[in-house]
Amino acid sequence: MMQHMGRFLFLAAMLAAGHGEARKFYGDDPLDREPAPRDASNAVRRKISDYYDFFQQTFAPPGERHQPGKPIPAQAVNTLGEPMDGAWYEKRHYYRPMTIEELVRGPGNGNAPDESGPWTVVKAKSEGVTPGFEFIDARKRRYVLKFDPLDYPEIATGPDVLVSKFFHALGYHVPENYIVHFRRDQLELGKDVQLTDAKGKVRPMTDRDVTELLMRVPRAADGRYRGGASLFLSGKPLGPYKYHRTRRDDPNDTVPHEHRRELRGLSVFCAWVAHDDSRSINSLDMLVDGEGAKYIRHYLIDFGSTLGSASYGPNSPRSGAEYVFEWGPAIRQFATFGLLVPEWAKAKYPGIDSVGRFESKKFDAAGWVAEYPNPAFTNRLPDDAFWAAKQVMAFTDEQIRAIVKTGEYSDPRAEEWIANALIERRDKIGRAFFSEVLPLDRFEVRGGELAFVDLGTKAGMARSPGYRLESEVTPLGYRVQWSEFDNETERKTEIAEARTPRVPDSAAEYLACDIGEGAKTVTVYLRRRAAAWDVVGIDRRW
Amino acid sequence: MMRVHYRVLAITLLSCVLQGQETSRASEIEAARDRKQASLEPDVPNKWEQRLIFVKEGKVLERLSAGVAGFRLQIGGMPTGSGFAIGPNYMREDLGRGKVSVNAFALGSTRLWTKLGAGVKIPSMAGDRLFWEAAAVYHNYNSLGYYGPGPDSQESSRTNYAFEDTNIDTLLGVKLTPWLRAGGSVGFQHPNTGRGKDERYASTEDVFGNNPRVIGLKEEVDFLRGGFFVEMDRRDSPTGPRSGTYVTMRWDDYRDRELRRHDFRRLDLEAQQYLPLFNKRRVIALRGRTVQTFTTEGQTLPFYQQAVLGGGNDLRGFRPYRFHDNNAILMNAEYRWEVFSGLDMALFADAGQVTAERWTFDAKNLETAVGFGFRFNVRNAPFLRLDVGFSHEGFQIFLKFNGPFAQRSLASSSAPHIF
Repeated sequence: MMQHMGRFLFLAAMLAAGHGEARKFYGDDPLDREPAPRDASNAVRRKISDYYDFFQQTFAPPGERHQPGKPIPAQAVNTLGEPMDGAWYEKRHYYRPMTIEELVRGPGNGNAPDESGPWTVVKAKSEGVTPGFEFIDARKRRYVLKFDPLDYPEIATGPDVLVSKFFHALGYHVPENYIVHFRRDQLELGKDVQLTDAKGKVRPMTDRDVTELLMRVPRAADGRYRGGASLFLSGKPLGPYKYHRTRRDDPNDTVPHEHRRELRGLSVFCAWVAHDDSRSINSLDMLVDGEGAKYIRHYLIDFGSTLGSASYGPNSPRSGAEYVFEWGPAIRQFATFGLLVPEWAKAKYPGIDSVGRFESKKFDAAGWVAEYPNPAFTNRLPDDAFWAAKQVMAFTDEQIRAIVKTGEYSDPRAEEWIANALIERRDKIGRAFFSEVLPLDRFEVRGGELAFVDLGTKAGMARSPGYRLESEVTPLGYRVQWSEFDNETERKTEIAEARTPRVPDSAAEYLACDIGEGAKTVTVYLRRRAAAWDVVGIDRRW
Repeated sequence: MMRVHYRVLAITLLSCVLQGQETSRASEIEAARDRKQASLEPDVPNKWEQRLIFVKEGKVLERLSAGVAGFRLQIGGMPTGSGFAIGPNYMREDLGRGKVSVNAFALGSTRLWTKLGAGVKIPSMAGDRLFWEAAAVYHNYNSLGYYGPGPDSQESSRTNYAFEDTNIDTLLGVKLTPWLRAGGSVGFQHPNTGRGKDERYASTEDVFGNNPRVIGLKEEVDFLRGGFFVEMDRRDSPTGPRSGTYVTMRWDDYRDRELRRHDFRRLDLEAQQYLPLFNKRRVIALRGRTVQTFTTEGQTLPFYQQAVLGGGNDLRGFRPYRFHDNNAILMNAEYRWEVFSGLDMALFADAGQVTAERWTFDAKNLETAVGFGFRFNVRNAPFLRLDVGFSHEGFQIFLKFNGPFAQRSLASSSAPHIF
């Protein structure tokens, strides 16, 4: 009996083990959208310590990391390598090009605070490095109101608005942010508002507190104050998410965050807009109603420390080039008495108060880092970076300039500088990450041939011999080999002489087309649908 | 028992097999959700993180700093040589609708030094054009170092003396521009000296009691004093400057109302210049400072009112209070570089001299020191400084909780080396 049981268990284990490798594609691949979420209404608000996060990420990095020779591919993607629409991400500008009006609108532009009535201050903002309030407008909508530091007008409010538009277009969930201009008498103090002062003492907030807070922020010549009003997100706030592991009380959160493509790729977007403050504390999980359940949607919030801003003033020139603490650079500086001047310290800035320290000449797209290590960023692989870079490169100069305009800079030089820097940083991102993989995308079967866009060529990168432009389908510069593909065994059987983009005649259900250049290859999988072929999967190697 | 165990295992494995038999990508995702659903638990921070959250959200550090009902524990606040100092402090900054602040403290140290004080400030009056403050301070330092007068004093002649004084001062200032302030002050000082209590060294009166240049031993004097000051501050940050200029001048007239023998006037001049390099990640910091005193015929300057050099704020290769004389000149140069964002290092060179004659110094015999330092900072504001200085008298290590070129308050109520 024991022997039989042992055999049975062995067989079961073999079946279980073997099954995972049995099928590469399912009938519903590629999934465009995650299945409807499950109810997560039992999730409770979670707090994190930014100090703990810093020390943990810096000195005892958590989460799963790549082992030498064993990279862990991104997860939470469909078989095309694209994140699915859902709680984390929505495919937007790259996939369905947005108009300039849509880009400028961002997550919404119809909910600016109503200035026809008073704004009732209901809370003083005690977190963060710049002063602020929470207020309710005449239409009962609640906002967080943040300001610029006294000596640097517009340095934080501009980025908070315009960068939110970029992140929206890039697919993330972000709040609606507005630039507002108001007079002191627009604000009235609500009932029983408590204030925690700088020394931790809780006391009733007074009108004088409001006035004194406004004394610490810039005031225009016409007597008005400029602020950044962020519309409260709908739903119940559940605290920030972490960039490693999953949220333990969320049934829909099954992929460790350090392996999510949209979080690995986020590093490239953050590099673009110099969002070195891209840490857990600047994210927010919201319990929202939708798709038949209450589920957790994941937001990026607070972009006041992007571009050249550190919220309380200009960012450090080190920003993006080194972590706040990093053994190697620190030892180098210690040992060389500072005579080894890092390149980032030689950057030239425009000397415009509202711009702070934002530039493009010394920007190193591949080497960019956040303030301290982020497990998802650290796990970024070339295909993650390519996924992000193709989205960055989808913004035209005109679109970038239009979005920058939403920062409402009073100095046209600021707008010009920021836009130009973003354009140059975009191009550097393209050059850096399109060269790490074969930058081919937008595959489809057209006219019996496999068509694609060579994003590298489109971006003006140096061509390999024989490169052709978009929609010219013959990749003469590449090695092409078609195979019949067995979906159950994942075995490929080469089709002799099938070495052009033309889809070969075959009775197979699946075909695989390997396109290569050196070690960089893209394998495109086609599945037969009636008399046609659909692109069902993409694998990239480098 | 074993059989039951095997059955459970078998069921588990079978469920794994069945779970693996997904027919769609969606069902595969749902299966992952099933597994997650079965193991849901509250997502709570670990104990360490909870503690840090408590410290931050409860503003524990701020509360400790602010104390209870204005009362808190003060650590430090005495000059070098006092040992570890601690005592109660009462501070309120919310009086007069936040316009008035008061402060009182009583510090004692491990070497039994005492410092008591109370003050009131209105930092902004008349539309932020004026500021006013008044303070009373009592010092009782029982073992201040003294090596004899002049630049040629010997390290081996170290003595110590007890110094006690009571000060009452008030100051009114005007903010001429955001970076230029001026004002005047009047005050009273009642100092006296006595035998030093540090038995490792001779008492000053035993060694220098008959030295005609060491004036004021065992005397009790009442000084009335009045003066004015001008301060220009064009630094980018007063707490951790990396560029800009700071210049201050202070003139005080001391009148001996008791013995009528020690009337004098004192001029303090100081200039600081910060030259930034490489986006302020390297800074050359320069400081020049002089103290000049003036006496009329028949009047003399007590040794405890003399200019002093030596220690962590000026000549860093020498012991604190190493040089005393009527006048002093000091020059500091530092090359600072950022190691990481919370730490700057520095190489420094100090030169200075005390002199009996005004506006003179012997360039060949300047006392010099070189050294290096570590400056820990938060958002560019130094909170801890470790300087190691070397001179022909050996090396000194200074652990200070202030910036390298610390200044005394404009309304300081005593000599700068014991403020």
